Amino acid sequence: MLSLLRFGVIFSFFLSATALSLLVLKTFSFGKKTLYAKPRGDAKKGVLYAFGRGMLPWEKESTSKHLPTYVSGMLYHAGIFAALFYLLSLIFSLELSRLFIYLLRFLFFLGYLGGFTLLFKRIFLPTMRKISCPDDFAANTIVDLFLIFAFVHTYSVRATPLFFLVAILMFLYIPVGKIRHCVFFFYARILFGLFYGRRGVLPPKTHKI
Amino acid sequence: MTNDPLEKKIKQLKPEDLKKALQVFREKLNQEYAVQLNSCVHCGLCADSCHYYLTHKDVQSLPAYKLSLANGIFKKYFSFIGKNIPGWVGGKEFNQAMVREWVDSLFGRCTLCGRCSLNCSMGLNIHYLIRMARSALAAIDIVPLGLQSTVDTALEKGNNMGIAKEDWIETVEWLEEELQEEARDKQAVLPMDKKGARLFYTVNPREPMFFPLSILAVGKIFYAAGESWTFSSNNYDVTNYGYYSGDDEAAATMSDRLVQSMKKLDCKTLVLAECGHGLNANRWEAPEWLSKKYDFEVKSILEIVADYIRQGRIKLDPSLNPNLVTLHDPCNLVRLGGIVEEQRYILKHAVAHFIEMYPNRQKNFCCGGGGGQLAMTRFSQRRLKAGQIKADQIRKTGAKIVAAPCHNCIDQLMELNKHYKLGVEVKTICEIAADALIIDRS
Repeated sequence: MLSLLRFGVIFSFFLSATALSLLVLKTFSFGKKTLYAKPRGDAKKGVLYAFGRGMLPWEKESTSKHLPTYVSGMLYHAGIFAALFYLLSLIFSLELSRLFIYLLRFLFFLGYLGGFTLLFKRIFLPTMRKISCPDDFAANTIVDLFLIFAFVHTYSVRATPLFFLVAILMFLYIPVGKIRHCVFFFYARILFGLFYGRRGVLPPKTHKI
Repeated sequence: MTNDPLEKKIKQLKPEDLKKALQVFREKLNQEYAVQLNSCVHCGLCADSCHYYLTHKDVQSLPAYKLSLANGIFKKYFSFIGKNIPGWVGGKEFNQAMVREWVDSLFGRCTLCGRCSLNCSMGLNIHYLIRMARSALAAIDIVPLGLQSTVDTALEKGNNMGIAKEDWIETVEWLEEELQEEARDKQAVLPMDKKGARLFYTVNPREPMFFPLSILAVGKIFYAAGESWTFSSNNYDVTNYGYYSGDDEAAATMSDRLVQSMKKLDCKTLVLAECGHGLNANRWEAPEWLSKKYDFEVKSILEIVADYIRQGRIKLDPSLNPNLVTLHDPCNLVRLGGIVEEQRYILKHAVAHFIEMYPNRQKNFCCGGGGGQLAMTRFSQRRLKAGQIKADQIRKTGAKIVAAPCHNCIDQLMELNKHYKLGVEVKTICEIAADALIIDRS
């Protein structure tokens, strides 16, 4: 049974990766915009900014004014990456030290808190409700479940089947809804950096001309 | 029965019109836009970046909501999941009600200022996606009338104010006399159609019509710098309302006219007057609309003047501008155009006292005059309310003069000045620089 679920996790992961690749390929089918205007700035520096300094909370008003949401988001994603690593260790029967598992457990907990906070906001803030569709709630709930079962699993291996089942559900759901941003985020940030870098808008100049 | 001509047009839309709009939406979609439409996570963090949302507090003004209107169509018609389970992922039907909502939100609650894009946690170019949706509406002639008539006038008459050629030439001749008087030099000229000049200087048609002293200021600076430059008697309009209406074809026609003038006059550099969207349209978008690399430079007048100061070609005395000056950063010039420090450099040399408003530079707030809002009178109350943030920013500085390198912004700021009783004077950067100019009469 466990072997079958383990296979299910691997299979759903590859299915998800394939579907995500197809989604990315589909965006190529819309055609690439050729740029003719002479650059003013450095597109590469723009991309570096997009993934570096541009991610810091004080660089954007949207995050500096909403630090709790920013922190929730960061913790959520840290928890997710930790849970994915934990899942990988289980699939490939990697030995993890007790101390490391304690650390992961803490991250899962924080991640879940972050995810739950975001879900809570989406449910109870009227503005958030109005910009949300069922997918937003489903995606958040599935990932929260993934974190909950990762957390529970650090206490009891009896949770393995449920943890694997939720992982399968999550992998299968990724291409369907907004969790696809796990791939598109990087793509979108590159485009952001290219656009503003090329125009000489970002990174902001720190010296006067 | 409605008397609103735009509403009448919406009611008369046939299924084939809607199909045409969708077709144009598809044509405008490219890899970049498709990626961005796949990436919105509806986090809502863009809310506080939008001057419309901050002043109106309604969900229709929230950038994520505005984007969802366009994104809903992308999902419903151009994505596999959205086609099959639209309700689950926010796919939306494109019908008359949606067209109405697009007009209200995408034309009526957005200045295409790009502040939401810069603040988006994913980095989506929200304003460009909104413009893409505007393009689909423009294709079926659903553009708020004032904005469309500005585009039509520019296409028919060669400039957006419909100024006749002889009136333009007469204005320049009159200004030339003024320049000669000020410079006390009969050789001082405002050259018209001078072939082979280094610079071809474009103007915003509002300048000859309402603000001729802006032109005189630039002429004075060119004169002091000993520049080789020219106006064109035809095709001199730096503005491009096709950029705002989303009509790429019209936008390309307008920008191409400047390219033709460049060729005809055989100039080296196309110099764009102080006009935010004119810079974005002609410096960044036009080569894309025309699918060609320019074989000449395109520069803002601010870059040119900053160079003059740096090279010592003009001398400024800041004591001639003793009042406290603050600076408004036009979105299209700064956040989307990359001209950030030049205006500050000029002001540093031209005024005795300068104070920044906050936030500034790339993070500036839109004044509310962009996006074609000044031409869309149906949304003017909203525009004034949305400008409250800028009015508060200005008031906090305590400045007597607001420098604004954009005539659209100037119009809006002048209205805000009156509406919010700010008691300031609004000037272009070149007007301020010209006031500080020391002309070496030797």
